[in-house]
Amino acid sequence: MNTWILLPIFLPIAVGIGLLFSSFRMHLKMTGEGAAPAAENTNLIHGIAGAVLGISAAAALVCAWTGEKSVILFYLMKDVPIYFHIDKTGSLFVTVMSLVWLAVCIYAFVYMKHEGEEARFFGFYLVVYGVLVALDFSGNLVTLYFFYELMTLSSMPLVLHNGSREAIMAALKYLFYSMCGAYLGLFAIFFLYRYCDTLAFTAGGSLNQALIQGNEGIVRIAVLAMVVGFGAKAGMFPLHAWLPAAHPVAPTPASAALSGIIVKCGVLAIIRGVYYVVGAEFVRGTWVQTVWMTISLLTVFMGSMLAYREPVLKKRLAYSTVSQVSYILFGLSVLSPTGMAGALLHTVFHAFIKAALFMTAGIFLFRKGKSRVDDYVGIGKEMPVTLWCYTFASLALVGIPPTSGFISKWYLAQGALQGDIGVFRYVGPAVLLVSALLTAGYLLPVTMKGFLPGKDRSVHTGKETIDRMTVMLVIMALAAVVLGIFPNPLVGYTSEIAASLM
Amino acid sequence: MAFVQNFPFMSIILSLFSGPISSVLSGKKAKWLNMAVITVIGCMSGAVLAYVLGTGESYVYTMGHFSAPWGNEIRVGVLEAAMALFFCVIMLLSMLGGARERLLEIEESKQNLYYIMVNLLLCSLLALIYTNDLFTAYVFVEINTISACGLIMIRQNGRTIEAATRYMIMSLLGSGLLLLGICFLYDLTGHLLMSNIKEQVALLHQSGEYHIPLLVSVGLMSVGLAIKSALYPFHTWLPDAYGYSTLSSAAILSSLVSKGYIFLLVKIFYRVIGFDIVRDSKVVNVLFVFGLAGMILGSVSAIREGNIRRMIAFSSVAQIGYIYMGFGLGTVSGMIASIYHVVSHAATKSLLFVSASGITDVSGDSTDFFDLTGAGYRNKLAGVAFTVGSLAMVGFPMFSGFISKLLFAQAAVESVNKMLPTLIALAISTILNAVYFMKTVIRLYTPEKKAALEKKNFHSIKMWDQPSKSIALICFIALNILLGLSSDPVVSLIRSGLKMFT
Repeated sequence: MNTWILLPIFLPIAVGIGLLFSSFRMHLKMTGEGAAPAAENTNLIHGIAGAVLGISAAAALVCAWTGEKSVILFYLMKDVPIYFHIDKTGSLFVTVMSLVWLAVCIYAFVYMKHEGEEARFFGFYLVVYGVLVALDFSGNLVTLYFFYELMTLSSMPLVLHNGSREAIMAALKYLFYSMCGAYLGLFAIFFLYRYCDTLAFTAGGSLNQALIQGNEGIVRIAVLAMVVGFGAKAGMFPLHAWLPAAHPVAPTPASAALSGIIVKCGVLAIIRGVYYVVGAEFVRGTWVQTVWMTISLLTVFMGSMLAYREPVLKKRLAYSTVSQVSYILFGLSVLSPTGMAGALLHTVFHAFIKAALFMTAGIFLFRKGKSRVDDYVGIGKEMPVTLWCYTFASLALVGIPPTSGFISKWYLAQGALQGDIGVFRYVGPAVLLVSALLTAGYLLPVTMKGFLPGKDRSVHTGKETIDRMTVMLVIMALAAVVLGIFPNPLVGYTSEIAASLM
Repeated sequence: MAFVQNFPFMSIILSLFSGPISSVLSGKKAKWLNMAVITVIGCMSGAVLAYVLGTGESYVYTMGHFSAPWGNEIRVGVLEAAMALFFCVIMLLSMLGGARERLLEIEESKQNLYYIMVNLLLCSLLALIYTNDLFTAYVFVEINTISACGLIMIRQNGRTIEAATRYMIMSLLGSGLLLLGICFLYDLTGHLLMSNIKEQVALLHQSGEYHIPLLVSVGLMSVGLAIKSALYPFHTWLPDAYGYSTLSSAAILSSLVSKGYIFLLVKIFYRVIGFDIVRDSKVVNVLFVFGLAGMILGSVSAIREGNIRRMIAFSSVAQIGYIYMGFGLGTVSGMIASIYHVVSHAATKSLLFVSASGITDVSGDSTDFFDLTGAGYRNKLAGVAFTVGSLAMVGFPMFSGFISKLLFAQAAVESVNKMLPTLIALAISTILNAVYFMKTVIRLYTPEKKAALEKKNFHSIKMWDQPSKSIALICFIALNILLGLSSDPVVSLIRSGLKMFT
């Protein structure tokens, strides 16, 4: 029964690679002697991608919600197995990732029509999904690292999809930042390999107290390296610059996936490293915690400021991701159960909200072909449904009750206020509030200008086209709101995880 | 005495005599003879390896039953046999991969001369691996140098003559220093046989006499072999020699010739001087520093290089730096990591050279970086192979390079003083590697416009157009993945082999 874990990992990877091969052959035909470029059979591709993703997501969810399982795939080196284990954190992450991934996939069926090269896109999209599931289910730090790197590599082609010079440079930037980050993380793994009893994830950590005696300094440096390194993927200062570069050039579904899901892998890696290998106790009250809190708060503020000044909508949303994911990291850095619960809640909510926001940006881009916020004046008259969804998602991100963002921010602030973290007890919530104001400042003007363009604008009114893109957007926006109205099961679940770790 | 025990001696003699026989054969026949010889020697080495693993201890073979000071001795352990087998495999694959280039680039009348050189090279490598006599080692070092020069020079364009002259000068300097070191040692101990010297050196070390001359001799031998294997400041001969010689020469030179010297150095450390004495002398620290410098500066030079062959050659400088850094750690685990890296680098570098030639074939034989755009589509297999090689070099999980980096880091964490510099240099060098290899991979898969393709008159190559190269590439890829996924047998082989050394 345990080996069923492997199905949602390897089925999408295998089918994805198959799609990539077919795309590769198409390319050969096109560059071959005088052959006319054949049209891709998009329906077939969509059918395959949708079916495989559906089956894998279902399998992943079944695996995740039917108790703990583990399976050892093979031994990479002596006593370093590639090992999968499902626990509560993994189940939570895999659920969110699967739902959003599936929704974005259906959205992409329509959207990718104007980007072309669909076999390649969906090929990589499937591969990344398999790798993500493996990442969520990984049971030790080396397995996590293994799939973390694979995830970077396989998601990079999503960014450079259109093949322009800009896109390639952005993809390279993404690759380098992620690799720099990953190697900082690897640097920490080398130390932890020596100073921990095991690299397998154990709630509360597995540092060997006898070995650690006298070497605290160096291990703390390693922990900080891990936080900063895996923080690169989560868009944390100082390795955040890839996010605003990668988003505008990537196709919108890829942006939604990157911003909603892939940045969360950085969060997962930090949770695994700090709470499951090192242990919160070792970090609490040290300079590492201070540095961590400082840079995460700095990123929260900086991201919001940059987003506020940014005229291109997708780039603005990218900066917003920088800021919002650091809310999560701040919640983790407080090292209190409430803060941790808030961080996990925000991880879930932000995934839905950011997917919804990017879907809106994509629909605007798809229908209007314009990317700057100034171009969207009066758009509410043309596409009311889309803009309403955008508005609800924005309100959720700002944190206005009863939407979901309110719940997570409440827990984050509570966690900071209850924590024993000195001056950050007040600075933290203050920065979060200021940033929430800025969030309102950069998201809501689109709504206001969209619905209220002013008198001197001639507004084109026509019937809004409702297609699968819009449906998916509505679902995501609904999720963002409804989860805030009925938060109890989720709050209970995350609090349980948080309590087991501290 | 088992019949298998004769095999090491027979393989040396076989390769030695196949040289002169080749001189009377035509080019084509010489090629088949050479292939056959390499295969037979590979099989014999495999048999020897199995025998030694079975008995679990090394044996000494006296040539012609003349005992030690008068006769010449061969010593066979697990590591020697494994290296011989591995060298044969790499050499066979490199010869296969470069068969087409040899026909094109070497004059008809000189074809058979090439095979003489290769046979002599194999003979000298085997002798370096097996011999138990320091002076015999020196003789074969010289044979190795001469035949390597021939391999560089046989493709006659002006640059190779210059490269061969440079190589000759640097190499002779190196072997001169080695000879001086051997002379010192002979003077101090009165022996040339490795085991006898070791006894005497241990006595000298205990009594504290002749401390400085001993140190000088160790230093001279280390520096001599370091020059010959292109440790950082002595690497100037390398880029031209690897960059402009014919393909199989470049692959063999980079993956075998320099590795033969490194293996001799390992033997000198373990079997002649004694590892403890080497560690106590400060020579390893010098090697450590130059190794670190090489790791970083070699990669920097590679980044600045616009010619793909020379870029791969410069990356060798960095990789040799890794190996010497491992020696410099002065621990057994550092040694194991270095020897593993010898293996993994040999497998990867020859793969890169062969695949790079496949790539330049479809780019109008231009090695210039900008002509390579989209070459991954024109020659599928070479593109995939180059990607695999690049990922292995960068140290991506799943490929051989990752394991050697893991081993280096584990070794580094064991030693207190050298830990930080090593890990930092590893991190920097890895990122630099990623810069130039990923840049190239992305260039390979950036589609070239059809018009540009027609203008430049580039054609594409299918897998079965060049069967021998394709076979070689597929074997190399398999070898890399094998080394990356199940490293444990190789590492334990190295460990037990090193144990037999002492």
